[in-house]
Amino acid sequence: MEKLQLTLAIIKPHAVKNPVAVSYIRNVIKNRFVVVRTRRVILDANEAGDFYQEHEGKFFFNRLVTFMASGCIDLHVIAHKNAIDLWRRMLGPTKVYKAQFQEPYSLRGMFGISDTRNVAHGSDSTVSAEREIKFFFPDFSFYEWHNNDELRYRKGPIIFNKYLFQHVRKL
Amino acid sequence: MRSVKSFFGLNRTNLIICRNVTTKKKITIPDEEEQLPIFQYPISKSSDRRVYVWGMAETGALGIHMPGRGKRGRKSYRNDFSLVWYPMRSSFCERFDVTQIACGYGFTVAAVKTDEQHKLFGTGINTDSQIGYHAPRMGHPLELLLSPAPIYIPYKSLESKIVDLAAGRAHTVILTDNEGVYTLGNNAYGQCGRKINPNEEYRGSMVSYNIQKLGQEKIVNVCCGQDHTLFITESGKVYSCGWGADGQTGLGTYKNQAFPAPVKGDITTEKIVKVASTVDCVLALNDRGELFGWGNSEYGQVPMPSKSDQVNMSYALVQFTKGIGKIVDIAAGGSFCLIVNEQGDVFVWGFGLLGLGPNVQQSATPKQIPPALFGRNEFNPQSVVEKVACGIGHLAAVTNNGDLYTWGRNRHGCLGLGHTKDQHFPLKVSIGAHVMQVKCSVDHTVAMCKPFV
Repeated sequence: MEKLQLTLAIIKPHAVKNPVAVSYIRNVIKNRFVVVRTRRVILDANEAGDFYQEHEGKFFFNRLVTFMASGCIDLHVIAHKNAIDLWRRMLGPTKVYKAQFQEPYSLRGMFGISDTRNVAHGSDSTVSAEREIKFFFPDFSFYEWHNNDELRYRKGPIIFNKYLFQHVRKL
Repeated sequence: MRSVKSFFGLNRTNLIICRNVTTKKKITIPDEEEQLPIFQYPISKSSDRRVYVWGMAETGALGIHMPGRGKRGRKSYRNDFSLVWYPMRSSFCERFDVTQIACGYGFTVAAVKTDEQHKLFGTGINTDSQIGYHAPRMGHPLELLLSPAPIYIPYKSLESKIVDLAAGRAHTVILTDNEGVYTLGNNAYGQCGRKINPNEEYRGSMVSYNIQKLGQEKIVNVCCGQDHTLFITESGKVYSCGWGADGQTGLGTYKNQAFPAPVKGDITTEKIVKVASTVDCVLALNDRGELFGWGNSEYGQVPMPSKSDQVNMSYALVQFTKGIGKIVDIAAGGSFCLIVNEQGDVFVWGFGLLGLGPNVQQSATPKQIPPALFGRNEFNPQSVVEKVACGIGHLAAVTNNGDLYTWGRNRHGCLGLGHTKDQHFPLKVSIGAHVMQVKCSVDHTVAMCKPFV
């Protein structure tokens, strides 16, 4: 069995505020992935700017930062043997106005409103996934994950805890 | 005990038999026909309205779920649809005289003609208190309303009337005739026109904000984008507040605006009669039928001589719309714009399913949609399009005969054509009434109609 890969899924403010979208997205996440960590945070503009520093200088940078700072966001660290690619494929193309015609049943095609309000964020590579997870979960140890937890989540009996919204060890 | 029971049972059957056996003797009255009351089919008043709703019903935005009896939870509602693909008559609007209606992202608000406190009703998503505070259990505000509930607004006088409504992604703007504007809901960008408090909790908040006048003038019209608000005053000036990251506030900056400020640029000298905005692109129309625009222009909605994706000041599109003539109605969608001129010809530009062919396409110049698609032909030469509306991916047009045509992206069945496939060209929606006005939102549509008889 292949090793589990980690990625960070961020549900953006407008989708968090729509109960129908949230329940749909959460269903998809918990059924297709192993949810390792879940947190709900409110960013301020500086934190959002730090998080999206790779986009600094682009015309949509200010738009993205003010949008991400406009309400609470859901963070999910999710694992799957092909997590990064699978999650990005489920999201669909970044631009919602194009996604809704190219892939109408992707998450962005169904619940996106505009190119910035595009439902969710997914890491684009293993390096950026690690950086993004460390940004939001400073107490998450990748050393521990590679040595111990990864095997436990892959093999061990796990059960979904709906109150924590994450998979935990079955005792 | 058993004997007593059987005795009663026997007795009851006897009674029933007796009742069946008796027959009434018919007595004939000589002039019976003249004494009968005159029966007449009801004819509707000119003020009667019928409201049809369709699209995503799971959010409760259609208000068609009717509370049932007995069962608990979501199952206890009758009409438990998640999608409505065809127009459905709203029973709420049969019970009240609805005058105005507005659709936001997953919620609907309706103004009712009355002299009492409850002039405004709302249904749908309420996570930002955009349809008021509703707590059947103390301290547990509802985040989703499946059927319409009255919204409390602190009116100064109960005689004031609601003249206009607008709704965005998570805020509602209510325009009254002599108390100015009331705003409800999310203020993360300042779209409610009050000071931005970054730590404000919007869930279960009871805050409503009143804007009496702007620049010493009365407000006559309001319009909402997803996260910004536009006001038109009596002299035709446009004020805006809210999210400005795409320049959709038109204030020359890309910052959030907390208090309404006058829009800069070409429209400062004009008398504006209408503004239209659904997402981040804004169109404005002046009293001579000339077009202005600002905001998001990534798909060429507001074409500037120098190509730019964001236009942060109003810009005259007179050269761009040359040859179209006087424009009478405008609508701005997510990635396209739709206008109609005095002759009833419909023009569209931008990106998406524009109604010009079976493919998704980009058009940099206004292109006319053939009028035959809106029912103008040899047998019906007088048919012209009068009003247009846009959702983020779908378009709608209303003709002078009261027919509604929709086309574009059919997200959650919001076109009302009976299926969820995308529609490439305008197609008539089957509504059993004379359509007067249509309001489009992200995933549902509401049509205000007049009965035929």
